Amino acid sequence: MFRRRLAGALAAGMAAAALLTGCGGDDAADGPVTLKVLTWEPGGAEYWKQVKTSFEGSHPDIKLEMQSVPFDKYPEVQGPYITSQSGPDVMANNAGLELFDRRGAYVPLGDKAAEINKDLVTYSGACEGFDTSKTCYGVPFSYQGNVLYYNKAVLTAAGLNPEQPPATWDEFGAACEAVKKAGKTCLALGLSGTFPAYWDFPEIARNYLTEDDIRALLAGKLSWKDPKMVSVLGKLAEITTKGWANKNAPSITMLPDGADIFQRGDAAFAGTIISDAVNWEAFGKALGDDKLGVTRWPAIDPAAPLAGKFSGIEGAVYGVTQWSEKKQAGLEFISWLAGKENGELWVKYGKGQPLNKTVDKALLPSSPAFLKIQELVAQPTLHAGVMLSGPEADALARGWQQVTLGQLTVDRWADQMQQALERSPTKKQGK
Amino acid sequence: MTISTAPVSDPVATDAPPAPTRRRRPGHAREWWLGAVLVLPAVVLAVLFKLVPLVRGVVTSFESSSGFGGSEFAGADNYTRMFDDPMVLTSFRNALLVVATLPVWIVLPLILALLIHQRSPGWKFFRAVYFVPYTIAPIVVGIMFRQILAPDGPLNALLRFVGLQPLAIEWLNGRYSALFSLVAVALWSFFGLGVMTYLAGLATIPEETLEAAYLDGAGFFRRLWSVVVPMLRPTVAYWSVLCASGVLIWLFPLIYALTQGGPGDATMLPEYLVFLTTFQFLDRGYGSAIGIALFVFVAVLSIFSVRHMFTEGTRKPR
Amino acid sequence: MNPRHFARIGRYLLTFALVVVAVAAIYPLLFTVVSSVKTQSGFADDPLGLPAGITFENYLEAFRRMDMPRLLLNSLVTTLGGLVLSVLAALLVAYAVTKLRFRGGKVVFLLIIVTLTIPSQAIIYPLYQTVLDLGMSGQYQGLILAYAAFGLPLGTYQLAGYFQQVPDELIEAARVDGAGHLTILFRLLAPIATPAIAALAIFNFVWMWNDLLLPLVIMGGSDSKTLMVGVSLLSGQYDVSVPLVSAGLIVALLPVLIVYLVFQRQLVSGALAGSGK
Repeated sequence: MFRRRLAGALAAGMAAAALLTGCGGDDAADGPVTLKVLTWEPGGAEYWKQVKTSFEGSHPDIKLEMQSVPFDKYPEVQGPYITSQSGPDVMANNAGLELFDRRGAYVPLGDKAAEINKDLVTYSGACEGFDTSKTCYGVPFSYQGNVLYYNKAVLTAAGLNPEQPPATWDEFGAACEAVKKAGKTCLALGLSGTFPAYWDFPEIARNYLTEDDIRALLAGKLSWKDPKMVSVLGKLAEITTKGWANKNAPSITMLPDGADIFQRGDAAFAGTIISDAVNWEAFGKALGDDKLGVTRWPAIDPAAPLAGKFSGIEGAVYGVTQWSEKKQAGLEFISWLAGKENGELWVKYGKGQPLNKTVDKALLPSSPAFLKIQELVAQPTLHAGVMLSGPEADALARGWQQVTLGQLTVDRWADQMQQALERSPTKKQGK
Repeated sequence: MTISTAPVSDPVATDAPPAPTRRRRPGHAREWWLGAVLVLPAVVLAVLFKLVPLVRGVVTSFESSSGFGGSEFAGADNYTRMFDDPMVLTSFRNALLVVATLPVWIVLPLILALLIHQRSPGWKFFRAVYFVPYTIAPIVVGIMFRQILAPDGPLNALLRFVGLQPLAIEWLNGRYSALFSLVAVALWSFFGLGVMTYLAGLATIPEETLEAAYLDGAGFFRRLWSVVVPMLRPTVAYWSVLCASGVLIWLFPLIYALTQGGPGDATMLPEYLVFLTTFQFLDRGYGSAIGIALFVFVAVLSIFSVRHMFTEGTRKPR
Repeated sequence: MNPRHFARIGRYLLTFALVVVAVAAIYPLLFTVVSSVKTQSGFADDPLGLPAGITFENYLEAFRRMDMPRLLLNSLVTTLGGLVLSVLAALLVAYAVTKLRFRGGKVVFLLIIVTLTIPSQAIIYPLYQTVLDLGMSGQYQGLILAYAAFGLPLGTYQLAGYFQQVPDELIEAARVDGAGHLTILFRLLAPIATPAIAALAIFNFVWMWNDLLLPLVIMGGSDSKTLMVGVSLLSGQYDVSVPLVSAGLIVALLPVLIVYLVFQRQLVSGALAGSGK
């Protein structure tokens, strides 16, 4: 019912659009199929322009109509589509819990998943419970995660060896004292919003949790009052309570304000992402490729099984919607996203880590920071951040702000986290 | 007094016309039909785009929904849950704090409008400039003020320069300073609209009447209250209602851009909590319930101010 | 010190206060303009100072990324449509409930006013569903009607307040002269309410032009998206460039300023003052 009405509405809308732009309309009957793709343009507008051109070039029977929505407004647009089971043919969600929560909107790939994703390093973030033997709902093509960037000039000025950045928690603390004495911020940080909570939590959690623990976190079966989790929160708190970060951290955003502190050379370290933006490429441009160092977050317990691994996660996952009437074309498009051609576009225009193994190595950047990242990501493990439900991520971010301002103890924070877990509608059903 | 010589009956809406014109006329029924036709477009708009969604929202608020799965009837669960949820209580407490600033919202633009209206030197320039903040889109207001309110931003630099060192605090970092900074930014955004509204109201008052009220120096405020405000009553009422119903909504994009409700829950307001609960926590039933509670809160607030203004207006026919 | 001195000092103080407010009002706009001619790294280095060199790259980039003519058209059609419709509907209601023998007028009036207090975040899902049921999702008329509905309560309220002030004898006199209802409304009452209509027009134009929620929910991210949606697309998930967004905003701001300059004359025209009553 709705669908037919919508189709009518869309046809009318397109006719109007065709009239307005003076272009000829598509005849749905025998002309090319038009796919509506809902995206927040991860990787930037330029990359998505290239995707459209390249894909349409090799698929004359399919046209892409990009429905670009700003990232921070995406849930408000996508939510109504899902509840009304109407809207675009292809949509995106971040890999992990965000996607699993919305799995009802997507067509399961079934046994085609392995074939489509055969050249990808990993695609488990698109599959239920991070298990590729279970149902998969879409296709990722980018790889994401956090590293610690550092400014060699600031380290040198503080009397530290820029070729040997701190590797343990204690060394990091000592380095921060030296940097502070030299009059700079140690770790550039902005705690407003959930980004830093998402980003930094897994880097600490790796020292206390196993992969099974992380899966239990996803299933809502690991209590936040568990001593392991309380320790994670305690170390997270230390980052700010020990004075390693800039003082106004609770009230500024990480992007762009926190990252800008690092970018203008006022901080020794910044923990940000490897793909998209605020990465090796942007920092290299601002500070000079030779001044930019990359390292793993310092280990709290170097003997922990995951301490030396990389908490990696696939980026945006694109899937075909349940209600699409062009499922075949949609499938063709998302299969193409996993391919070599798009992998190379992603490297070139998205400035990111490709998931596709067959991408021409000659295209990869030669920046030393990028090469170091290549080395780090070679040992991946699960990313604990994307296991957090909305209420948990929110409580983590707010709790960290309050702990930093001295309004909350770590134990109370753990209580609040547990309450947030119990409030999460999407983790309740997992029990 | 010119305007107020009109027989003031019920200023909102007159069911029955004032006594002198109440005569049985054959056109009575026809006039009712005409009225019905005239209000039809507005009623259709209000029903389709506001009331129907509201009723559907009320229905949702009685359901429990797990993410995007199915939903089932949950009775009043979502409503009782609110009373145990510290975040909900904090958000409404913060809303009350915001509401407490309303007198400033109402008086400040009025004074500025009067100064402009009495042709203070450069009034044309001020009139044009004061409106500029309102035209700037909220997304950019947030970006600008993040820089301006920064600990070493221009505001604190200015305060230090004029010797008000102790006032140069971390505006967005404190329990109360963050909320009131947000309110101040919103006031900055909207005071020009208030000035403009008052100027439009002042334009309906004859010059001679106002001139008597304008003055140099002492007695300004006394005459302001006794002469100008009574004449401007409809405009003051309009602006008060606009502020009362709007202030919480106007703060939403600023919360989004500046604090996201933080630090902690210091700037959490109901509208933002509805957004978080509905779209980030995927708890649509509970989000709707908080939304309905907010609707009641704002309705009570505005209806109170509407009623107050109009009973005042009817009591003193001049 | 005689009273005249006091008066003069008072005047200086008042003017000084007006200037302070004016600086506060205009500074952020200057900040935006200055930011828009900085480079991204220039802004990161020194967000507050004057730029080392002026670049128009941000404007070029904004124009490259946005299909400006189309976005402008979309915004103009929907904003003007919503604006005209809401003011027109409000005029009709205001007339019916204040100047006609119209039983039930009070109920209608309250019904419309009360919609002012419905929090938009709480009705997004059902609003989208309703627009979809009407077959208006992704279409100009969907957004125009929604804008009109959202602008309606304040318009009705303000115009009714204005009409209330107009003595009924004036209308009776016009009626005796043979004027019909529409003539009275548009030839007599509307001109009297010019300042109110101008104020409403500006108010509605600005919020409709700057709104993000309704265009996004009703239009999605399609080609019919509005200019402000285009501007907000200039910042990505991780990539937030203040200079680029500033440039986009300055472009989007120009039409608003033009509308304001056109209408502000009517704002202070003092129609009632000269009407003799």
